[in-house]
This record gives sequence, C-alpha cells and structure tokens, in this order.
Amino acid sequence: MIDHALPGDAIAVTGLVKRFGSRTVLDSIDLRVPSGQVIGLLGLNGSGKSTLIKCLLGLLRTDAGSTLVLGTNAWELADREKSRIGYVPQEATLYPWLTIRQTVAYVSSFYPRWDRAWGEELLARWDLPPGQKTGVLSVGQKQKLALVLALGHRPDLLILDEPVASLDPVARRWFLEAVLETTADGAGTVLFSTHITSDLERVASHVAILREGHVVFHDEIDLLKDRVKRLRLEASADLPADLAVPGLLRAEVEGTRALLTVDGVTPALLADLRQRLHTNVFVDDLNLEEIFLELHSGTAAHPHTAR
Amino acid sequence: MSRSDPIFVVHPSSGVPIYRQLIDQVEALVAGGQLQPGDTVPSVRQVAAALGINMMTVSKAWSRLEADGLLQRDRGRGMVVAVSRETRSLADRKGQVRALVDQAVVRGLQLGLSPAQILAVVKSSLEEKSS
Repeated sequence: MIDHALPGDAIAVTGLVKRFGSRTVLDSIDLRVPSGQVIGLLGLNGSGKSTLIKCLLGLLRTDAGSTLVLGTNAWELADREKSRIGYVPQEATLYPWLTIRQTVAYVSSFYPRWDRAWGEELLARWDLPPGQKTGVLSVGQKQKLALVLALGHRPDLLILDEPVASLDPVARRWFLEAVLETTADGAGTVLFSTHITSDLERVASHVAILREGHVVFHDEIDLLKDRVKRLRLEASADLPADLAVPGLLRAEVEGTRALLTVDGVTPALLADLRQRLHTNVFVDDLNLEEIFLELHSGTAAHPHTAR
Repeated sequence: MSRSDPIFVVHPSSGVPIYRQLIDQVEALVAGGQLQPGDTVPSVRQVAAALGINMMTVSKAWSRLEADGLLQRDRGRGMVVAVSRETRSLADRKGQVRALVDQAVVRGLQLGLSPAQILAVVKSSLEEKSS
C-alpha cells in the first residue's frame, strides 16, 4: 500500500518483519506517520508495541522491510538525527547517585538544542526537587524525570513507551498538556504506546491497533468511532442464529433480541436489516476502549450465539 | 471573540467522536440564537488549548462546519457564523432533541424507572441548566 516515504513523513515503515528466533513478533507492518501528527499505539501486552518502538529507534535490527525515521534508515540513525528524537522507555534508567539537577546537566550536554528554561519549567511543574538524588525517587517521579529528559530538547519526534502507566491522574493530565505543547506549532510528531484509551482519545488524532504482530487498524480515531457501532435488534419473532451482516465483528443472538458489533455501519445496512428481519434497530456509539475490546473478542470470524 | 464566548464541553471517552461533539454544539448554539450571524467563533488553537485536545480535531470540526455553510472564513477575524443561513425550523430543532430524548427514555425504562420518575429527572435537569 505504501510505496515511498513522503518528504513530510516522520516515520515511514513498509513491510517490517521482526523475528525472535523462530517466533515472528512483527509481521509485515506498514505505518506512515506524517510530521506533526500525534498517534497512539494500542495493543495488549505482547502484541509487539515495545518491539516496534525499539525497531523505530534502531535499538533492534529488523529482519525485513524498510524502516525510515526522520528520513533515515532506523538502524543507521546518526547523532544528528538522534538529537532530534526524544524517547521515554517503559522503565527509566537513571544513575541513582546523581541528583536531579546533575542528571539534567549530564543528559542535556548531549543535545545541542537543549532548552534550559523549558527544562527548568518542566521540573518545577512536576514538583521535581533539583537537589534530590534520583535513587530515592518514587516510580512516578522517575517517570516524570524521564519525560523532562525527553522533552527538554524540544524533539521533532517524541516516542514514548507506556509513558503514563505509573503516573497519577493529575500528573497524567500535565503530561498530556506537555505532549500537546510539543505539537502546538504543528511540527512536532508524537508516537506513544499505551493501554489507557482515554488519554489517547484526548490528545491523539490517529491510532494504530496492534494485534499479534499485525496492524489491524490504522486511521483517525474519529473515523474508527464513526465506523464501528453496536446495533441492538428487537424483533417481533425469533431472529435467525446465523445473521449474515457485512463487517460483523461480534454477534449475540437471544430469541427476538440481538447485539451486533459491526465495522462499517451505513444507513443502507440499517434499512436492509429492518426490512429483511422485520426488526427494530437501535444504534449505540462505542468509545475507543469498547471498540478495542470488540476487536479483541476473538470471535470475529465465528460469531457466537448465546443460549 | 465578542460578548460572552461560547463554551464548549467535550467528553473524549464518549462513543461520539470529539469533532462531532463540537459540530453539534456549534449547530445548537446557532440554532438557538446564542451565536448570531457575523459572530466570531474561538480559534482552533484557543479551543484546543482550553479543552486540552488535539488541534487537528478542532480544525476538522471547523472545516466541516465551513463546508456545510454554517461558518465562513473572514479575513483577519477567523471563523464567523455565516450570514446567509436561514434559521432552522422549529420542527427541525425539535427533531434533533427528540432523537436524544428517545435514547434517554429507553435507558430509563431499562433501569426500571416509571414514566413519572423519568419526567422528574428531565425536569430537574431543565431547572439546573436553564437557571
């Protein structure tokens, strides 16, 4: 589908394959992220999110395909490109004997574009005492410090692996604001993996859903919500157990009632159902978490029937 | 922006996409006369910052409203409510509210509320919001 990386792409992945031994963890991944986009990477544990992120950063070598980050092959990223990337790993690695101030000074020395005032502001905003040794910080504080280190040089591309898992709701909101500030001028690109769908719905315009090493959906979040709906059928007579509906993700039929989750609901489809089955059809909107669960209900190909 | 700025509320985790929530609210404000032809609507940046949401989402809502002819771009002033728009009929506005009420009533009945109890809920909401 994607032949070339466009000049405006922060990330352009085509046919990426990653194997660990005989196990294929990522299977022909295509993912194009234009500059300035905020995209969320959503998937269950073990779906390949962290592996994909490590391939993008050149921390893991891919087995096939092309992985371009800021226009350069990820495995060959040089210092110049790396200084334009901010990365927060799942678990921050810090030197416990350094204070927060010393850590910031040390890390910032690697970045020609480090913005001191911005770094100081983030430390103050997140209540990180500069004199404190990092070894005694809580998990949440360490994660905040890692964020400061990733944001302080105002990166063109910010990559975050489960950045908010250990933050409390207040810190999470601050973090999301900082992410939005990164992209406010329309240039900064953000990719973050998470399983907290409500954060993603707020700040990300796009989502890529990973399932067992495949990208099963990649588009605008709004479009996903417009497409996938739950239909409640209430008929006067018993409904057939095997409902043939295009785009059916899941079905529960119980006598005269049925619950269907359908990808690609159109007025024509609703009219057809009403006429064909002599049934009332009510349409329920689904949020991202509900859609994510429906995509993972595991019965997509074989809708099951409730007794 | 002029006079009292329109206030938008969004629920990111609703099944209704955020841009649609914004479109619905602008349409309702125009239909109800709180936004008059020629009034400026807040900029994409202002709305995104105030609500803590992605700018693209707001931009999309404003573009759709422009394409529908409800808003128009005014050089130097940003987006304004279009002048040539005839106000929607009462029946049309009632129809919009009816669709929402239907949903609420169905949920009320499912939860075992009596018609009188459902009416009481609607009444108390009206009293709060219209005061």
